[in-house]
Amino acid sequence: MPSLVPIMLLSVLPLARGIYLGFTDYTLGAEGPHFNFMGNHLYMLSDYQFWESFRIGAAWTLAVTTGEIVLGLGLALLLNAGLPLQGLARVLILVPWAMPPVIKGLVWRLVYHPDAGLLNRALTSLGLTRQPINWLSDFAWALPAVIIVGIWTGLPLTTVVLLGGLQTIPVELKEAAALDGASLWQQFRYVTLPLLIPVLVAISSLQFMWNFNSFGLVYVLTEGGPAGRTRLPMLFAYEEAFRYGNFGYAAALGNVMVMVVGIALLYYVRSQYLSTKG
Amino acid sequence: MAMSRKVLSVMLLCALALGMSCSGLASAGKPVTIRFISLAWQTQAIEAVKAVVAEWNAANPSIQVQYVQMDWGSIHDYMITSFEAKDVPDIFHYESIPIIDFGKRGYLTDLATLISDDLRTDVMPGAWETVTGSNGAIYGIPFLWESLIVLYNKDLFAEAGVKPPTIDNPWTWEEMRQAARLLTKDRHGDGQVDQFGVAFGLKSPVNRVFNLSMGFGGYYFYDQNGKPVIGVGDAEKELLRILLDMMYVEKTASLDGVGLSGPELFPGFFAGKYAMLPGIGVWARQQIVESAPAGFKWGVLPPLKAKTQAQGSTTQTLSIPSAAKHKKEAMQFLEFLANRENMAKLALGDWLFPTRASSLDLPAFRKEEGGWNIATESARHLTLAPWQKVMGFQEFKSKVATPLFQQLFANRISLDEFARRMETEGNRVLQRYQ
Amino acid sequence: MKRNKTTARAVMFAILVVYIVFLAFPLVWLVSTSFKPAVEIFTRQATIFPRRLTLENYRDALGEEQILRSVGNSFKVSTLSALATLGIAMPGAYVLARRQTSVNKLVAGWILTSQIFPTILIIVPLFLLLGRASLVNTHLGLIGVYVVWSLPFVLWMLQGYVRGVPVELEEAAAVDGANNLQIVSHIVAPLVLPGLVATGLYAFINAWNEFFFGLVLLKDPDLMTIQVHLARFRGIEGLARWGPLAAGSIIATIPSLIVFAFLQRGLVSGLLSGSVKQ
Repeated sequence: MPSLVPIMLLSVLPLARGIYLGFTDYTLGAEGPHFNFMGNHLYMLSDYQFWESFRIGAAWTLAVTTGEIVLGLGLALLLNAGLPLQGLARVLILVPWAMPPVIKGLVWRLVYHPDAGLLNRALTSLGLTRQPINWLSDFAWALPAVIIVGIWTGLPLTTVVLLGGLQTIPVELKEAAALDGASLWQQFRYVTLPLLIPVLVAISSLQFMWNFNSFGLVYVLTEGGPAGRTRLPMLFAYEEAFRYGNFGYAAALGNVMVMVVGIALLYYVRSQYLSTKG
Repeated sequence: MAMSRKVLSVMLLCALALGMSCSGLASAGKPVTIRFISLAWQTQAIEAVKAVVAEWNAANPSIQVQYVQMDWGSIHDYMITSFEAKDVPDIFHYESIPIIDFGKRGYLTDLATLISDDLRTDVMPGAWETVTGSNGAIYGIPFLWESLIVLYNKDLFAEAGVKPPTIDNPWTWEEMRQAARLLTKDRHGDGQVDQFGVAFGLKSPVNRVFNLSMGFGGYYFYDQNGKPVIGVGDAEKELLRILLDMMYVEKTASLDGVGLSGPELFPGFFAGKYAMLPGIGVWARQQIVESAPAGFKWGVLPPLKAKTQAQGSTTQTLSIPSAAKHKKEAMQFLEFLANRENMAKLALGDWLFPTRASSLDLPAFRKEEGGWNIATESARHLTLAPWQKVMGFQEFKSKVATPLFQQLFANRISLDEFARRMETEGNRVLQRYQ
Repeated sequence: MKRNKTTARAVMFAILVVYIVFLAFPLVWLVSTSFKPAVEIFTRQATIFPRRLTLENYRDALGEEQILRSVGNSFKVSTLSALATLGIAMPGAYVLARRQTSVNKLVAGWILTSQIFPTILIIVPLFLLLGRASLVNTHLGLIGVYVVWSLPFVLWMLQGYVRGVPVELEEAAAVDGANNLQIVSHIVAPLVLPGLVATGLYAFINAWNEFFFGLVLLKDPDLMTIQVHLARFRGIEGLARWGPLAAGSIIATIPSLIVFAFLQRGLVSGLLSGSVKQ
């Protein structure tokens, strides 16, 4: 336990400082922070661009997390089914996790390239589109395009966690259900899924937080464009702090995000646990 | 690095042999180490910087320069963190716009009194302006100029019978537009254009459009009782109208460029999909030389003429943080790094222009190979853009100008709506900084 | 019936292949790019197999710029921070799992805040703190940061796992005169070994892939980590020195994939049980 102390200090002190800055007018290079009580939070109320980015962030976080969970569950089931080359498959699906982040954004920009990109080449050669689509700057496609990249990066960890969950479910339970005449779907719905709920809740709430907190990959892809369609709230806070120098205000944005996401998550975790018990 | 380790082992041996008695001696001879952060990333540029640093280190054992290569995507966050933590490099490479902002926040050393007369008089006045704060302080040495040029495909020009203009008789935008019509073709006869006259790389539209707009007398920022005010009038609209017409009316400009940077259009350029790429940074020529297929013939067009050939520009800079420990030594090295020959080497390595008039006169910048002779011509028309020093420009750019440009170029809002919103929303942002 | 089952498995295998293509295609691109000359890389007619094979990119990546040293540094930092995270999280998780107090709620609040608050705003105070402890420009400081960063996830997963261990075993040991620390290290830890492997791997990859702390905290080029090294191949306006970047990324990715391949089994039976029983 004493070993926790320096580590907690390293984590808690900077956090506390960050939270405190949210109640000050600190700008980069200024003498020092001056307490301005709720000034930042009042300004925030009328900052419609922030709330717009918050809305985008909510859509992004929900879509990516849901995608990761649904696709991850499917993949985990497949990897648990004893198909050929299972060991190799389990390693290959980890590629997005193992790949250097520096190159991820660059690779996906190439994939979405309107002229030389992999995706457009595939679609035109299949005859699905006649004109190449400018994915990352198209007003309708940009957000879905980055969401797919988001799911791609988060899928390996989700899959691994869920796969682990699947493996702890005793095979006898399913066999018993099968003997009772349950179909594959019924076995999944009434045996596997209920036992998997705790893992699902744990990983989905973590992914929810991480996705809400991420912006680096999207920034490389679109810089928040077109016209702010992919400007995630963390990107917004980052720009306030590091580009315009309004550190205090950015910290206040952080505080509000912690509150909102925290409340949403607590509600989610609680309702999920209640539903399993009931 | 090998150097400092050798010094270290000598010290160790020394200490072992003589005990405490020699420790004073060793520390007196200990070289000062200058940490220099460079952003050069193109193959030749890295080599050029390394060569200059190695030359200095060999000649100056008492001031050793530690070369640290960093990338453009990290430098801003890195410097802000370093400034705030007061743990800074002695010299860093960056560009004029953020430098002015850093300077205003008190992060940088004012170099005005440290610069040698030779450097002061030789570097062009326009370049000095880009790094001079409103109080007259000089926040960095501008050592590289960047201009926007027009690249063209020689074979496609010859095939369409289009003659490239000369330096003495440059094209106007209107003439470029006519040429683009001749160069736009449906080669497969399937009703779809597969060769466009031009493609504009508009991924980061603001700086590009603002810089080019200066030739039309469109400055976007105007002075009103000493305060900057945004205005979008006829002069500003002129360039935008040309771009929009070429993309959506005449369809001589490919829409591929809307979300791409200029150099990201190269695959299509190499494949003959676009005959011209206007508004590309001069440095990108090195990328063509390195990655174009054999036999691809390209050239540089003289800067297009609007009312004038003027073009707004920024410079790449070398600055010393105010918290740096070895300012005097850092400045000595900077004078060496930015002397006539070395500045030329760095500029050639990055395919940019040196800011020293005497360096620009060197024959290397006049040769035909690599399009240098015509590209260098564009350097004569570079001027300081008025928006460079406006407080709050970054926020205006990110929250107002970029989104509005993106909507305009995607043809989602009219030019008039664009102009109106730039003014109202832009001026609202600027007020936050007044 | 049997035929039905074979078709079902064939369909499942086909879906698995789709997954693998989606997740692992950049690896194919990376490998092929790393063997291509510059002329063949950024082009509309990119092929899977290089028309002319070259080792130049590897020579560039391995040559002048001490990439191997940075891989070594990353390996050291990642391994040590993973071990340290486990060393701290294990007793912490034990205490959390065995004593139901209000501390648990506090820790939950800390995890939440630390995962959502914008990281970028915490860097400066963290830097100052490390500076005061003379830990800037040392691997030790960086390891500390990574421990703090991975701790929430690891702690959360491990404490769930510890709950799965029957209390009776510990009681027996306590009767034999073992103290708390001995109980944790000799009895609980071996029982949750799979969980330790899994969470340790997470901590390892986290540290291996991290970029910005490594960039900011280490000044001496000899201490540099692999991600910082790779970023140098990145250019501006979406360009990069593709060849060396791809070669470098291969050098940076392959080790972690090999580690994955080895630890795959431990990983699988680990994470799962951790959350299942919480």
